[in-house]
Amino acid sequence: MALSNLREYVRPDGLDMALSLVKEKGRSARVIGGGIDLVRSSSPDIETLVDLSQLSLSYVRQTDKGIAIGATTTLTEIVEAPVLNNYLQGVVVEMLRQVGAPSLRNLASMGGTLASAHPWSDVITLFVALGAQVTLYNGVTRMVPLSDLYASRALLSPAIITEALLPAYAHGTAAAFMKFSRTKFDIAILNCACLISTQNGDCESVRLTAGGTPQLAALLPEVAEVLLGRKLSQTSIGQAAEMARETTLVRNDLRASGNYRRELVYAGVKRCLTCVSTHLSGASQ
Amino acid sequence: MRICLTVNGKKQELDSTPGDTLLHLLRRIGYKGVKKGCESGDCGACAVLLDGRVVNSCLVLAAKADGHCVTTVEGLAGQEKTGELHPVQEAFLEQGAVQCGYCSPGMMIAAVDLLAHNPNPTDQEIKEGISGNLCRCTGYVKQIEAIRIAAKKMRKSADV
Repeated sequence: MALSNLREYVRPDGLDMALSLVKEKGRSARVIGGGIDLVRSSSPDIETLVDLSQLSLSYVRQTDKGIAIGATTTLTEIVEAPVLNNYLQGVVVEMLRQVGAPSLRNLASMGGTLASAHPWSDVITLFVALGAQVTLYNGVTRMVPLSDLYASRALLSPAIITEALLPAYAHGTAAAFMKFSRTKFDIAILNCACLISTQNGDCESVRLTAGGTPQLAALLPEVAEVLLGRKLSQTSIGQAAEMARETTLVRNDLRASGNYRRELVYAGVKRCLTCVSTHLSGASQ
Repeated sequence: MRICLTVNGKKQELDSTPGDTLLHLLRRIGYKGVKKGCESGDCGACAVLLDGRVVNSCLVLAAKADGHCVTTVEGLAGQEKTGELHPVQEAFLEQGAVQCGYCSPGMMIAAVDLLAHNPNPTDQEIKEGISGNLCRCTGYVKQIEAIRIAAKKMRKSADV
C-alpha cells in the first residue's frame, strides 16, 4: 500500500469543515481531487485525506466573467462541456484531448491538476496563457491569477481551490496551444501556448507561455514585447520565435536536452503564433 | 472502515481500509478479471467502469468509490441475465483480438466506455479510446478491428 500511514478518509459536507480539517491536521492532511498523484505517492506523512466530492464543485458554466470550472470537475467533464467548444476556437478542448488517456482524464480533477503543479502540465501552460483566475477558500473567498498561485505557494497554506475561471474575451482574440511529446498523450517534453488580442489587426495584448522547460509554465514577456503594436506576419512571427529561442530558460532533464528544448521553444512559439494568425484572419473575413 | 459499492449491479457492504485501492478490494472479493499490472496507472490492465466511465482501479482509493457503481469485465456479459456476451467481448473472440489475454479485460472495458459515448468512432478515435491500455503481445490491429466490428453490431442492434 502506497499511503501506508493513511488513517482517515473524510468527505466533509461543507467547505468550512474541509478547511478546518486541513488546518487542524496540518501537513498530515491533504485534499484529494482525482487522487492520481496521492495514490501513487509513498508519502508517510499523509494520515488524512479530505475528499471534496460532497461540496457540489463539479460544474462547467458560463458566467458574466467567463467560464467557471469547479474544482472537482474531471478533465473528461470539461472536454465534454458544450460551453467550451466555442471558447477561443476550442483551444481548451483541443489541449485536454492530449492530456493522458481517457482512463486518467476520467479521474483527474481541475483542482487537483492546478494544485499538483506538475512542470509539464499542459493545463497549466494553457491556463496561465489564458490569464485564468483561481478561487481560493481560506475562511474567505478570494480570486487570484493562476500565475500568482505558482509564484507564491504560500497562498495554498491553508486554503482550498474551489474554482478556476477562464476569462471572457472579446472578438478579435485568439489562442493556440502546442505540445511536443513522444506520443500524443505522453507527458510533454515541452509545451507552449499563446493568447493574442488585436485592435485593427495590431497585437494589443500578448500572453505567451512555455512549460516543461523542464520548469513549470512561465510567461515569456520578452517575446510578447516583440509583437506588441505589430501585425502578425511571417516576419514578426519569425522574430518572436527567435526571441523565444534566445530568452527562454531551458535545461536538460531525463526527457530532453536543453539544446533540444531551445529548438522546441522556437518551433512551438512559431506554430502557436501561426495558428493564432490563421484564427484571426479567419475571424475577420 | 465500511464502504458500500455496487459491483456489476450487486450492492455490497465491504470492509476496507483508508489506503485500500479499488483494485485490491475488487480482487480480494473475487473479481479476478480486474488484472493487477503496473499499479501506477500506466498499463490499463486494472481498468473498470466507475459510474460508466473507464478508470484505472489501481489509482482509485476504495473509499473514493464508496457509494458508486463499478462494472468489471465479469459484469459485461449477461447484463440482462441472458448470459450472452457483450458485443465487444463477442467481437474480441471473433477477431482473435487476444493473445496472452492479460490486457483483454481492461481493453474491453475501455472499448465499452468509448462505444457508450461515441457509437461510431473512427480508427483514430478507437486508438485514442484504448490509449491507456498496453498490450505487449499484439500490434493492437486485431483489437482495433474488434472494436470497429463491435461498434457496427451495437449500432445495428440500436436501430432494431
